[in-house]
Amino acid sequence: MTNSLLFGISIFVYFFSMVLYVSYLAFRSESLGKVATWTLFAGVIVETAAIFLRWFESYQMGIGRAPLTNLYESLVFFAWTIAIVYLLIERKFKIKTAGAFVTPFPFIIMAYASLTPNEIQPLVPALQSNWLISHVVTCFVGYAAFAVSFGVSFLYLFKVKAENRPGKKDSSFLGYLPSSEVLDEVGYKTIAIGFPLLTIGIITGAFWANVAWGTYWSWDPKETWSLIVWLIYAAYLHARITKGWRGNKAALLSIIGFSATLFCYLGVNLILSGLHSYGGGQ
Amino acid sequence: MPEDSKVNEKRTDFIDKIWGVFISLRLVVILLLVLSVISVVGTIIEQNKPLQEYYRLFRPETVELLGKLGLLDMYHSWWFTSCLALLALNIIACTMERYPLIIKGMKKPNPVLDEKLEAGLKDMAKIRYSLPVETVEKGITALAGKTFSAGPAVTETESGRHFFYETGKYTRLSFFLTHLSILIIFMGAITGSIFGFKGYVNINEGEMISAFQSRQGQNKDLNFSIRCNSFQVDYYETGAPKDYRSDLSVLKNGKEVIRKTIRVNDPLSYEGITFYQSSFGSIPENVTLEIRGKDGGSLGNVIAPVGKQVDIPKSGVKIEVADYREHFHMQDGSEAGPAVGVNLYRPGAEPQGIWLFQEHPDMNRHGEYSFVVKGIKLRSFTGLQVNKDPGVWIVWTGSVLLVAGIMMAFFMSHKKFWLRIEKDRKGRVEVTAGGTTNKNKHAFAAEVARLIQSFREVS
Ligand code: HEM
Repeated sequence: MTNSLLFGISIFVYFFSMVLYVSYLAFRSESLGKVATWTLFAGVIVETAAIFLRWFESYQMGIGRAPLTNLYESLVFFAWTIAIVYLLIERKFKIKTAGAFVTPFPFIIMAYASLTPNEIQPLVPALQSNWLISHVVTCFVGYAAFAVSFGVSFLYLFKVKAENRPGKKDSSFLGYLPSSEVLDEVGYKTIAIGFPLLTIGIITGAFWANVAWGTYWSWDPKETWSLIVWLIYAAYLHARITKGWRGNKAALLSIIGFSATLFCYLGVNLILSGLHSYGGGQ
Repeated sequence: MPEDSKVNEKRTDFIDKIWGVFISLRLVVILLLVLSVISVVGTIIEQNKPLQEYYRLFRPETVELLGKLGLLDMYHSWWFTSCLALLALNIIACTMERYPLIIKGMKKPNPVLDEKLEAGLKDMAKIRYSLPVETVEKGITALAGKTFSAGPAVTETESGRHFFYETGKYTRLSFFLTHLSILIIFMGAITGSIFGFKGYVNINEGEMISAFQSRQGQNKDLNFSIRCNSFQVDYYETGAPKDYRSDLSVLKNGKEVIRKTIRVNDPLSYEGITFYQSSFGSIPENVTLEIRGKDGGSLGNVIAPVGKQVDIPKSGVKIEVADYREHFHMQDGSEAGPAVGVNLYRPGAEPQGIWLFQEHPDMNRHGEYSFVVKGIKLRSFTGLQVNKDPGVWIVWTGSVLLVAGIMMAFFMSHKKFWLRIEKDRKGRVEVTAGGTTNKNKHAFAAEVARLIQSFREVS
């Protein structure tokens, strides 16, 4: 299958972009930073081609469906959205330093995906629904925004520590980071993108479940974990407008929120049982 | 009565304190986090399983304890429901507290940029022009009109001409939309659980039902009948089901009122009750058995309809087909193919339940008889989930309002912008401009700064 070849190339490109972003942080050379961004962009282009090729190949096989329906395809899509959302955020907020904390995700996720079975499989009847695409896309773009916020929140915690240290200006990479206010703001803005998307994702999922099974909410582990993630980010949003919870505690909630997101996505299938189709590598 | 008023004061003090707790954002944060942490428990201990499964997993004392704590059905336990109720009260209190503030924010503001207002504006500038006043006015109102889509309210006072722009006034309502929609969703869920039901029914191909079994195991009658005209399954080459569908008719007073083919993701609704394609299977209509005696000689064939006792020839023994498995799982986990569950009735003895295997005649020796399963005539049935939920539309309404509210809260704001055009003592034109917003102040400040910069270039 030619799509696997392209996916394989994108893993390497993501790897190089990660190395470049880390070197950018270490050497603080603007030109390295530029190359890092362009490399990540190239990775996205290659992966985009791979996704569309896979879509096309599924039609050639007579199965014909969007490549969003098993663990492998969802991992690949997750890596793709993280890279794209990060590029957009980097462009808008000029925070290239966060790249070292975010770009490991596309690489690790793609590398992990390459270990899972990647045949194009036909869909069981429950998944043959137009709701599938809107549900999966909104959830995963939301997750990707949370991933970026996670990276930025980490930076925030480092930066605050450095700012509170008495004495000279920090000469390590910390001095090079944007101010903690900017990091706090970007951490919030990314969640402000992710939260409505996750909300829509949960609602479209519920709507779909109601069409397929007649129950919009059945407290199965996957549903419950997506609600847990939603509650944590709702807590984050209120924490940020509360004196005393702003800053550190809010950043911590963003980190906990993304950990819960990862568990919702992978942990539930690998560790808990569920009704969902991304079942751990059968 | 000084004593009395003291008591009263204390009480209001106490109520104030409680109110203060209820409207605090701290409580919201804590409540949301508590809810998320306790929800985790329910995903670790599987919920609502048959009791015997818990006994298999835990010691009996543990199962009893979990049951008492409500941990086997925790999302319906009193303590989980209380947390949700607390959240609802919290939202109601917050809404009541914020209501006056929000209404005040939407009041018609002063359209005149007077000194008092000017002193309170943060993003503000003064620009002087040596141009005719008409040119200045035309130039800057054109620029301001591009940024603020709503037309200005123009007021003339002795201090000059005032222009007032306002957009997004109603986005202040986003607080109500976001928070009240959660209450609406709760109401929808409560409506569904009070007035709705869920159940299950199997219909054999060609047959008709007019009752189903509810989740609680009760038989419930329908006001109409459902007939399964036919049932079909398509398979992929891999053997996985590709599509399964039932051709159903709804009959009211014996007359067909609707006919529809349902499949997964495409149910049938009638009188508020919806039928979902949920499963399928087949049951035997009758089984043809060859019976052999001790010496291996054939005693002849019998055709046994399901659920009817038939005689084994030349003996007082009766046989009844009671059960069927398409894929029988042996205790060691291996598969033994199709199997028929049969009861043997020997005169004067307890009935004996045995499994007869179609593909393993060697395993079918029971006492003096052995059996060969010659044929199983199957009949398919369709498995339907039966559901009525009058609250579901309330839930969807709440969901749409929730998304709208969140979008409004995050991406829109109430902006106000004033301009004053006057002539100073030397006859030069002076423009004072400034604005405020309720959210996203950085972005607004940048927007105003850009606008004012463009004002400077008016010529
Ligand atoms: C599941 C429950 C809740 C959800 C999903 C929710 C959601 C939200 C969202 C999305 C915002 C906008 C955040 C922003 O603009 O940054 C918000 C703001 C707010 N929420 Fe909640 N909320 C919930 C419960 C509550 C409760 C119980 C209270 C009562 C104390 C509350 C009080 C507030 C306040 C005071 C704001 C700020 C409004 C403003 O900036 O104008 N929320 N909430």
